[in-house]
Amino acid sequence: MARPKPNPITLTIDGREVAANEGMMLVDAAKLGDIEIPVFCYEPKLGQPVGACRMCLVEIEGIPKLQTACSTPVRDGMVVHTQTEQVKEAQNAVVEFLLVNHPLDCPVCDKGGECPLQDISMGWGPDRSRVVDVKRHFEKPVPLSPLIGIDRERCILCYRCARFSQEVSEDQQLQLLERGDRSYIGTFNDQPYIAPFQGNITELCPVGALTSYTYRFQARPWDIEQGGSVCTLCPSQCNVSFTVRDEEVKRVLARDNEAIDDGWLCDRGRYGFQAMYSQDRVLNPIRFENGNPVPASWAEAIEIAAGGLAATGGRSAALVGDASNEEGFILQSIVREGLGSKDIDSRQAPNVGRSIRVRLYDPAITATVADIDTADAVLVLGTDPIHSAPAFDLRVRKAVRRNGTALGVATDRPSALDGGATEVERFAPGDAAGYMRQLTAAVKSGADTGMAGLLKGAEDIVIVWGERLGRGENGPAAVESLLELSAALEISGKAESGLIEIPDVANARGLREVGCLPDSGPGLSEVEAGRDVEEIRAGLESGEIKSLILFGVDPIRDFPDTDGWRRALEAAEHIVCFSMGATETTDLATVVFPLESHAEKDGTVTHTEGRLQRVRPSAQRPGDIRPGWMVLAELSAALGHETNIHSGPEALRAIGEAVPFYAGLTDKIIGGRGIRWQDRPESAAFEAVAGTGVAPGAVVPAEAVTPVSATPTEASSDGTLTLGTFRDLWANQVTEMSPALNYLIPAQRLEVSVADAKRLGLSRGDEVAVKSGDHEVVARVAIRGAMPEGTCFLIEGTLEGNANVFANGKPAQVEIGKPSPKLDLVMAGADSTEAAPEE
Amino acid sequence: MSPETGTSEIVETRVLLRHASDPNLVKIDTYKSYGGYQTQERAYKELEVDWMVDQLEESGLRGRGGAGFPMGKKVSFLPHGDQAKYLCCNADESEPGAFKDRELMQRNPHQLIEGIAIASLAGDIGHAFIFIRGEYDKQADILDAAVAEAYAAGYLGKNILGSGHDLELVVHRGAGAYICGEETALLDALEGKRGNPRLKPPFPAVQGLYGGPTLINNVETLSNVSHVIANGADWFKAFGTEQSPGTKVVSISGCVKRPGNYEVELGLNLRDMIYELGGGPLEGHEIKAVYPGGSSSPVLTPDDLDRPYSFESMAEAGSMLGSGSIIVADDTVSIPHLALRTARFYHHESCGKCTPCREGTNWTVKMLERVVRGEATPMDLDIISSVQKNIMGHCLCVLGDSMAMPVSAMVNKFRPEFEEVIATAAFSGFPTADGREAQIDGEEPGPGGVSPELIKQARLAGRPVPSAAQNAGNN
Repeated sequence: MARPKPNPITLTIDGREVAANEGMMLVDAAKLGDIEIPVFCYEPKLGQPVGACRMCLVEIEGIPKLQTACSTPVRDGMVVHTQTEQVKEAQNAVVEFLLVNHPLDCPVCDKGGECPLQDISMGWGPDRSRVVDVKRHFEKPVPLSPLIGIDRERCILCYRCARFSQEVSEDQQLQLLERGDRSYIGTFNDQPYIAPFQGNITELCPVGALTSYTYRFQARPWDIEQGGSVCTLCPSQCNVSFTVRDEEVKRVLARDNEAIDDGWLCDRGRYGFQAMYSQDRVLNPIRFENGNPVPASWAEAIEIAAGGLAATGGRSAALVGDASNEEGFILQSIVREGLGSKDIDSRQAPNVGRSIRVRLYDPAITATVADIDTADAVLVLGTDPIHSAPAFDLRVRKAVRRNGTALGVATDRPSALDGGATEVERFAPGDAAGYMRQLTAAVKSGADTGMAGLLKGAEDIVIVWGERLGRGENGPAAVESLLELSAALEISGKAESGLIEIPDVANARGLREVGCLPDSGPGLSEVEAGRDVEEIRAGLESGEIKSLILFGVDPIRDFPDTDGWRRALEAAEHIVCFSMGATETTDLATVVFPLESHAEKDGTVTHTEGRLQRVRPSAQRPGDIRPGWMVLAELSAALGHETNIHSGPEALRAIGEAVPFYAGLTDKIIGGRGIRWQDRPESAAFEAVAGTGVAPGAVVPAEAVTPVSATPTEASSDGTLTLGTFRDLWANQVTEMSPALNYLIPAQRLEVSVADAKRLGLSRGDEVAVKSGDHEVVARVAIRGAMPEGTCFLIEGTLEGNANVFANGKPAQVEIGKPSPKLDLVMAGADSTEAAPEE
Repeated sequence: MSPETGTSEIVETRVLLRHASDPNLVKIDTYKSYGGYQTQERAYKELEVDWMVDQLEESGLRGRGGAGFPMGKKVSFLPHGDQAKYLCCNADESEPGAFKDRELMQRNPHQLIEGIAIASLAGDIGHAFIFIRGEYDKQADILDAAVAEAYAAGYLGKNILGSGHDLELVVHRGAGAYICGEETALLDALEGKRGNPRLKPPFPAVQGLYGGPTLINNVETLSNVSHVIANGADWFKAFGTEQSPGTKVVSISGCVKRPGNYEVELGLNLRDMIYELGGGPLEGHEIKAVYPGGSSSPVLTPDDLDRPYSFESMAEAGSMLGSGSIIVADDTVSIPHLALRTARFYHHESCGKCTPCREGTNWTVKMLERVVRGEATPMDLDIISSVQKNIMGHCLCVLGDSMAMPVSAMVNKFRPEFEEVIATAAFSGFPTADGREAQIDGEEPGPGGVSPELIKQARLAGRPVPSAAQNAGNN
């Protein structure tokens, strides 16, 4: 279904001619004529209007009764009055009614000063109350969840939060209980509201009924400032606005950008700001004396860093993760030009090479986030957005709910989107390539059942695929199949169809495009290939690489093969580590530099749809933290390589010179909402880049795919299970460094199917040891009905029992047994000195 | 003209309740022995769908649930096409004063089923539901049994009477909320959601149950269908008035000698109906006020009673015919207490979705409680009136108006009595600990020895009056 074409019309509101589009709600159309109609329950983000609060009553000529402007679509020639006596009486009445039960505790209410009820009462309400009766009382505030307190006395029952829970995040937990004026918002049995998007309801609430515990009594609207930025905690890159008081972030709000986030934030993005003020944050450069960290001056630290890197000659490598385009660009220039090395990577595990990547980045097959809204079919492939990029989860739900989009989900692990999907297909962990080959063949043969059938009749198709599809031995073949599939679906010819990748790190696309890949330089230019992330690890272990720059990465925790990385980092002679928090990796460094957060950084990032966005400084950097680009430029100079970059804009200009399709970009052009590079004329330069890649439409020979033993339907004959791993939304340092989110820190759990649990005699909550070779991870059993028999899943990146010990690019076969007592407290496999055994 | 003639001049005209005195009418065989299901057989075998829709439209049959919307129009609004369409029979009869549907379902369930079957054929509808209020347990059991009989006899189910038309009929018991009688709230409740009204438009005929076009009609309306189709629109129009054709089952209750359901032609004199059919007020009492169409209709005073009982005439009198439930209040009834009782019902049943109804009913109840406790001033009566005005026409559905209309009528038409109650209640009784209404008894001595007359005068003048507690403290 193509995006609807606007049909311009003219209507008259209060005697003023207003140009609007047909079908717009009158409230929105009135804004175009600078006429404000007050609303409480209306919020287009929540879907269809409900007309419950009755605040927006207006007079429409030809209709005897007053109408709700929030639910009246405008027509050509409509004549509307918002200022008549009748309308004013109705507005007065509704405000008076709302205040019958609303406590007038504005002086102690957190919403006071930024409260729609206050504003509308002043603007449209009567100037005095006639109510002398007792108002309703509740215990207050009571925790609705560990993050949000609810004051039911202040609630004006606008239904916004309940609609969010029921129609946007679809967790269905918030309900209206009781009836009439006894109604209140609550959950079944008063259970806490645990959901990954709950913070949004505090922003939706038009009164002070729902407040975040993190912001209660922290500030008043007149002593705060708002600063816009982009959240870089995940690839969704939602637009945020920081509430800053005394140079410190107190709150994170959504900064609505329909092209990116639809105005929603996940709780990691909303409450993760606490990590900025955690005691675990690195606040100044650190050097090590006899293995003990001691603060270092910046000059000292740069001297140590540069000295060590220079001493190892060209045998240096760099890994980038949490970095802006500017930081990534300077870093690759340090590696390539300053250190004379070729070894740089911005991925956690190797996947596809340059030739495939340039085809993937072809503007013709890149979808935008907004394309999801109106697609006829959305295929979610090898990723569970709720964990890897939560904003996408809401976006896909929105398409299914409001547009009737047919959703197909093909993943190894049961996904949160399964429920709304028309087709769900499972493949064995590591067998993405096999599945993709099958699907592509089915689509080509015109099959009309299963996933191929779902895609067959669809005009606009968006494929949301996970970077992990390309991981492992068969990964490149899987992505090759994906390209073949999109060619078969003729995606490149349709404006509103395309592929959109969900990468592992927030600014993955930007870092790749500015040159942080071993086989491509800035602008995905062809360069002599260096070592990829896995080869860098091997090189460190074998001594071929002696020094390493780690910028915003924690390989021991985040990368596959934990033991391998621990050995590699221990073997390195010199590690320069840039990190926001203290980690096991920083303990192994020679020198540690603090990193800025996204509330402090000035730079650009590139969204996976190709949109460049600005990360802007809103708060003061705590301690002695300096801008990342500046530290890197100084480091580069200390290495004898002058970058000539003396400011953020200069860094952006340097990128524009090096990346042809970013040419001429400035902060001003990017602006507050970002700009897709594909939408600029300079994107034509991409063709020159693509020209050097492989011609599209190349077919992967079936032999290129190594067959994987287990399929989801058959259990291995030896009683072992195929292990898959996934990164849980909460298994990361931000959760641990933010006290408000601490309750979400996941403990390791083993997800198994009902049949396997029965066969192995497991029940929910049992403590088991998951073994493969020398590795053992202790986990608690979680039985999932949707889990295919023969597969099981563990979480990557947990504090204890990190499943990354297993993940070494190949699916592991694991045994489930009793935990050995000695392993209880030791990180699994930590004492192993041998290389990870291969199956 | 009437098959069963009463003894008085005002006669019943029994069509729907014609054989209601036969206790075996609930059985399909008895129903058929009176000619039942013959119309359905004709409809399914011979009659043209378009002709049936025309007859329903032509007959002018108006919805018997309260709003009085022409039934045939509703059927003709249903879009054609092969999407799933639904019929919902609204049997959530919960309005105080209304009990006609209960009798129709209890005594003659097959008449309703036959009506549903014919209406479904006319509207090309494959799924029908009877949403019956949970408290009508016995009636639901009777319907369940009747539906089972109809299935067994082939009047429901697949390929009914060889016509190729399928109809599934489900009797669904509500969970006991007045608001679920509102058509869109009924749909939400039927879908398993909280029974809250939906925003209109879209109207149910376009987008109703599960998003499909839905025909919603009251029990009595659907019970009429087989008779209209059997005898034709002209036969139906011969009853009643031009704008209110047909017969109507009227529930008469309250302070009358013979409360009950009476089926009459619309257009009879209201006073005569109360006196002749209902038997009039008890000996020695006089009528003080009448709700002509259930508790949500504005009350009429005895002066308004000499009017024909029809949709148009009741509207002319500033009230409405509604569901056709006449509640009579005689001179023993305190109007302020009646107003409070009415308001409390709607306050209790307000769903809470829209502001004016949720807060307006609550506020009105609080103010009326103060009135009967004697804690109000005449100024509060103005506020009560103004609040009712603020509710009317501003709500999402008509529940708010349903309280505002009668309360506002009572305050406006019986204002002296309200003032009297305020003035006397202060010394005749005090709010009990649990907040129940105080006793009204003007003969009791005033609190703290204050002269009752003095307090009365102070009240009427709107001056503050020392309360019992204050007086107790002073003494």
